[in-house]
Order: sequence, then C-alpha cells, then structure tokens
Amino acid sequence: MIFKKIGLAITFSPNGLPLLKTAIRLKKLFNSNLCLIHVGEKNPETESQINNLIEKAGISPNAFNLVWKKGDPAKSIIAAVTENNIDLLIAGALEKENVIKYYLGSVARTIMRESPCSVLIITNPGTEPEKFKQFCVSVDFSQLGETAVKKSYEFAKLENAIEFILVKEFEIPGLAITVYDSGSTDDTEKSKQEWQLEEEDKLKLFARELNLTGLDYRLVALLGKQGWEARNFVKENGSDLFVVPSHPKKLKFFDKLFQHDIEFILSQLPCSLLIIRN
Amino acid sequence: MSLSATDITIFLLSLSVILFFARGFGELFRFINQPIVIGEIIAGIILGPTILGTLFPGTFNSLFNQSEEVVTALNGITLLGVVMLLLVSGIEIDLSLVLRQSKVAVAISLLGILFPFSVGFLSAFFFPEFLGLSDYNMRLVFALFVGTALSITALPVVARTLMDLQIFKSEIGYLIMAAAMFNDLVGWIIFSIVLGMIGQNSGHSLPLSSLVFVIIGFMIFVLIFVRKIINYSLPFIQKRFTFPGGVLNFIFILGFLGAAFTEYIGIHAIFGVFIVGIAIGDSVHLKEETREIIYQFVTNIFAPLFFVSIGLRINFIEHFDPLIVSVFLVLAFIGKVVGCSLGAYWGGMNKNDSLIIGFGMNSRGAMEIVLGTLAFQYGLIDEKVFVALVIMALVTSISSAPIMNYYLKKAKAILSFHSLLKSETIIFSSANSKNDVIKELCKTVAAYHNLDFNVVHNNVMKREETISTGLEKHLAIPHARMSIKDTIIAVAIVKDGIDWNSFDNLPAKFIVLLLTPEDKPEVQLKLLSDIAKKFNDIKEIENIIASKDAKELIYKVKQLY
Repeated sequence: MIFKKIGLAITFSPNGLPLLKTAIRLKKLFNSNLCLIHVGEKNPETESQINNLIEKAGISPNAFNLVWKKGDPAKSIIAAVTENNIDLLIAGALEKENVIKYYLGSVARTIMRESPCSVLIITNPGTEPEKFKQFCVSVDFSQLGETAVKKSYEFAKLENAIEFILVKEFEIPGLAITVYDSGSTDDTEKSKQEWQLEEEDKLKLFARELNLTGLDYRLVALLGKQGWEARNFVKENGSDLFVVPSHPKKLKFFDKLFQHDIEFILSQLPCSLLIIRN
Repeated sequence: MSLSATDITIFLLSLSVILFFARGFGELFRFINQPIVIGEIIAGIILGPTILGTLFPGTFNSLFNQSEEVVTALNGITLLGVVMLLLVSGIEIDLSLVLRQSKVAVAISLLGILFPFSVGFLSAFFFPEFLGLSDYNMRLVFALFVGTALSITALPVVARTLMDLQIFKSEIGYLIMAAAMFNDLVGWIIFSIVLGMIGQNSGHSLPLSSLVFVIIGFMIFVLIFVRKIINYSLPFIQKRFTFPGGVLNFIFILGFLGAAFTEYIGIHAIFGVFIVGIAIGDSVHLKEETREIIYQFVTNIFAPLFFVSIGLRINFIEHFDPLIVSVFLVLAFIGKVVGCSLGAYWGGMNKNDSLIIGFGMNSRGAMEIVLGTLAFQYGLIDEKVFVALVIMALVTSISSAPIMNYYLKKAKAILSFHSLLKSETIIFSSANSKNDVIKELCKTVAAYHNLDFNVVHNNVMKREETISTGLEKHLAIPHARMSIKDTIIAVAIVKDGIDWNSFDNLPAKFIVLLLTPEDKPEVQLKLLSDIAKKFNDIKEIENIIASKDAKELIYKVKQLY
C-alpha cells in the first residue's frame, strides 16, 4: 500500500471543494482511509458549512473521520497528523508567494517543511480532479530516495501515467575556478562530460537495483545547483507531479535568506509537488 | 600629466613583454603539472631587478623605469589586476555551500584558520625579530598580519591541484573546496581589518571599533540587499541586453563601485570588490558560461600583469634572508597542515585522509601574493619579509600536489576497485554453480574480515534473488549493503564459466563480490559504475581471467587505472 491514511485540512476557500474532491479521488485510488481536519471553532455554523462541503463532494459520512482542532493552523494540522497516524497530507498552495509572506511563512509552506509525514501540494486544483500524467522524481541515492522512487512508481502505475522521469542533480562546487589557473575551458568541459556520464551510469544502476517494471521510465542527470536545476527541468518539461524526497526540517530565517536545496522548489512551485518522508 | 609618444610606446612594449614572458613560463609550468601562476611569478623575477636588472640594467630601466608616467600607468594596470582578481575570488565563493557545511568541513575550516592564525600571531608577537619586523610600534598589527598570511589558502591553486589529481568530484575534493571557500571569506575579512588598522596608524582611517562596525555593516548590506537586487536583475539583463556583453558590464560596474566605496571609507578597495563578487556569484541566474568568460578574461590578461609586476619591484637575491624565509616556511607548514589535519581528524576522518586535507589546504599561491603586496605597499613589511612570503607561497603551492599524491595512494575516502583489491580475497574457483561460487566468496570474505558467514551470505543471496547481478562480457557483480564500516571486495575467477543469467547470455567468469556500508548507499553505485566502466571491453576481462595467480591479477587490474 502506497499510503494508508490521507489527511486533508478543510477550508472554506474557493479551493476547499476541489481539494476535497482530489483527496477523495486519491483515497479511492490508494484504497486508503481519509481523515479530514478542520482548524477553528466548532459551532453550528461551521458544522453546517462542513456538511455542505461534504455533500457537494459526494462522499458518504462513514467513509472518513473528522477531527476538530483549535489554535495555530500549521501547528494544529501537524499535531493532527501525528495523533491520527496520517501518512499523506494533502494541501493546496499558490505557486509563488509574495516576498513578505515568503519570509514570514504561510500555513502551506510551514506544512511542506515541517510535516512529519509525506505531503502532496496541489497547485491548481481544477473543479474536477484530474489524474497525474507526467511524473518527475528527484532522486538522491539515499534510502529515502529509494522509497520515494518506489512509492511514486506505484502511484504512476495506478494513474496509468504516460511519463515517468528520474532526475538526479549533481553539484560540483567551484568547477569554473579550474578554468582560472589553466586558462583552458576544454579541460573543464571534458571533465564535465566525464562526470555527466558517471552520474548517468550510477543513475542507471540505481534504477536497476530497484527493479522497476510495468512502466517505461526515463533517466536524466543534471549538473547544477541542488533543487534549482531539477525545478527548472520540471517546469520546462511540463510535468504535472514533481516528487521530492526530503526530511522534515524547521526552517530558520537564515535558510530563507540564503536559499538552498528544496527551498528553491518551495519558493516557486513548478507544478504539484509530492514530498516523500518516512 | 600626460604620456608622451615615447612613454606610450614603452608602456605598450613593456605590457607585451610582460604578457609574453608570463604566458611562456606559465605554459612551461603547466607542462610540468604545476600551477600557471607560479610560472608567472617566476617570469616577473626574471624580468625584474633580480636577473634582467642585474645583467642588463639598461634594458631593464628603459623597459620598466623609463619615466614616472610609465611607472604610474603600470601601477594603475596592476591595481586593476588585483581588483579584478578579487572580484573573481568573490564570485567563486559558493555562499550556500559555506553556510551549510558538514561537521567535518566546519571542523577543517575553523581549525584551518584558528590554528595557523594563532601560530603566526603568537610567533610574530613574541619573537618579531625572527620574522623581520622593522617598526616596533607596529608589533600588534604586524602579528595580526602574519597570522592572516599563514591562515590563507589559495582557492584557484587548490582547485587546479584537485583537478589534476582527479579528486575534484570526490568526498575529499568537496570537503577541501568547501573549507577553502570558508577560509577565503574569513581570511579577507580579517585582512581588511588589518589594513584598516595600518591606515589608522598613519591617521587617515576610522577608529577600530567603527571600522569593524563599518565592515560588518557593509557585508550585511551587500550580502543581503545588493545580493537580492542582483538576483532579480540578472535574468532581466541576460534577456534584454546583448549576451554576454550586458551581464559582463553589469558585473564589473558593480565590482568597481564596491571597490571605490570601501576605499573611500578607509578599508582597502579589494574588500569591497570581493564582497560584491560573493553577492554576484551566489545568484543561481549567473550562467556557468558567464563565469568562465570572466575568469578567462581576468586570469589571462590582468592577473598575469599583476603577478609579473611582483618580481619587477624587488631584487629577490639581495633581499633573500635565509632565517626569515625558513621561519616563514616552517610556520606556514606547521600552521596549516597541522591545523587542517587536526580539524579533519576531529571531524572523524582517519590519519592518512586527514593529512591529504592538510596538505591540500596548504597552497598559498596567488592570494598570499596579493596579501603580501598590499602589506608591502602600506609599509607594514619590508622587502625581506615580502620575499619570504613570495617564496613561502611558491613552495607551499608546488609541494601540495606531490605530497597529496603520496597519501592519496593509501586513502580510504577515495574508493576505486583497484585500491580495494586484496590478494587474500582473490580466489580461483572450480565451482560449477552460482550458489557455490557465492558461498565460496562469502566464506573467504567472512574469514578474512572477521564477519559472520551467515549474515554475509544471507544478504548477498537476498539481493541476488530480486534480479540477477550478471552484467555483460563474463562479468558478474553479486553485491549487498550491510552494517559494515568499510567497503569490502573479493574476486573469484571461474575459468570454465557459470551461467549467471546475464544480458548477453555469456557465462560469468570474472565474479566480483561487493559489500558496502548500508549507511552509504551511494558508495555501492559508485563502485558498481566504476567496475562496469573499467571492464567494458571483453579483451580486458579475458586478460584478467587468464591471470595465473592473485598477484598477476592485481597487477593487471592496476594497469587499467
């Protein structure tokens, strides 16, 4: 089973209903449980609003459980995840947030960074949920990276995806400096090509070890800044789901100031994003 | 003041002579696998008073001392050279890498600065006469300067060395680069403060407390605000203006502005341009191509002018003081090698690998020369100390690669098939099934490395059951990840061959058992790809299979590397 229990924080925003429909679709696809979380006062008004939403989404009342939480939205949602053993949290987010919000942190971004379980961020939920067709997985050669590939591969097979790409970024800090002393760009270029081949080889072996069968996949090795290169690749390629393995991390102000790794992806989402966590 | 026709002729002539010699000696040194910058400095010594000035004083004077105007013009050009050199040094610092270093890199960076700095500072403070202090009133500033001079590392020389030794893209290479970048950053900040303090003594600078305040304020302003602005403007400039003209101009304009500003407030121009360089280099929008163009332009034209000019000013033989030179050399080696190695050791590396890091960080190269030149111009050090610094920079840079190479042969962190081969774990088997060979290999490994046979065997078989590990051309690599500390390799040669369910249906004859630590999944991939790459020619494999004994096999494998 890819995910056992899906969690969704319901809101009454315009995206509330499409997100709920997506969660229901995935619940059926994964054959998993669904847990709806609402952060706010429990009173007749909110209750009727929720009932209204559930009715519109067309899900029977015993197909999910509803959790009420009070307090800071991000913290409450994260607490609900732990209490209810949720292993996939769904949330909606804007592709890009304005500068002030970026530094202060929005609910969605905080969840992306700090949630203890995997997170699926839907950027443009349509009125009717659609299948993910083009998968792109950012690979690192860690155990979490292997889990991410396995899970997303199963996911892609369930979706009958038309494309499944594994992307591996590799960074060689200070490479341009080597031009500095020899004055030869050719040497540097040659090394670059050798490393590119080496990374491609490793990626091939990595994929082979995982024994992926049933769906064709493509392998891409990219030289450049971690996070940034893969993000741009996904954007240009037009993938509709980007999968990234990442450990939860409390982000400090410093990290936002000097962006790195996953922050490049989070600050400007190229498409819907699935963050895989243990 | 303007240049006469003769002045212009001489000026241009001397520039071409400088570039000619710089390139000639640079290429010569490159040919013997030494940093080009060393050749350029030596070209300067030959063109300067040391050799040309002594042998043919007439030629020397008419080329480089024709008139005051020509000297001023040459000085202007070399100043430009230093400023551009520092711009490049800034650009190459990867700020995010420096800020999120691993524990080992932090340990190397910190001890690699603190230790040599203390060694230099204390020696110069308590025994200034051995280090050639001329003005006793400047003892504190002088001691700070010696500390800084010993703790600096030349990033470009280090990068070149790593590239030549083919360890640029390796764990050790990565660590050295990260630590050297941090080193550069801190070194230049300390040196700016020292320069500001010298300025204070001559009375045209801010008091020390406000100096530190201004330096930090400037850094915060540039690294946070200016950096953001650059990051937003670069895509626009690259799209709307001609490429690479637009972006090159943008970078140099900002760099010169930063330099002018810091010079104006009493810290040297190089500090401003260096910090601006960092802000530019940090942007993800700065193309690799642009970086390379800037480097080409600066290092092939302006940097040689500067490095050659060093030798033009001083007679290296006349001012050679064996005592000062040896004291500087000893202190330099002790400070940097011990400091960095201790850091690496403390961070968890073994003794051999720590020494590679220590010697790798020991190159002073170009940066030391810049530092020394400025201190000399400010009157902080005299000719003797300057000569000692230049020699120290040359010796540390030249010695780095050969010493590293010596330790690299025994390195654990550099993983390759041939370095892991042991004659005790090479067997010539007559087994006739896959399971039997694997059993034999596991037994050999378990006995030699003191492991539990069942654990090894179960892990390997578990992996074997998922998909066959048979590759092409008689090669099979059964492997597993286990809770072991170091990678283990064993080899079995089966001359008759065994069916291994390979892609090309050829029987396996050359069988490599590969056990890697489970907490480092990438090691397995790296070695698998290394082996597959080295043995992609069936002739090589047939050659290995034909070996008579383990010794011959190891010899043949080593030939491939």
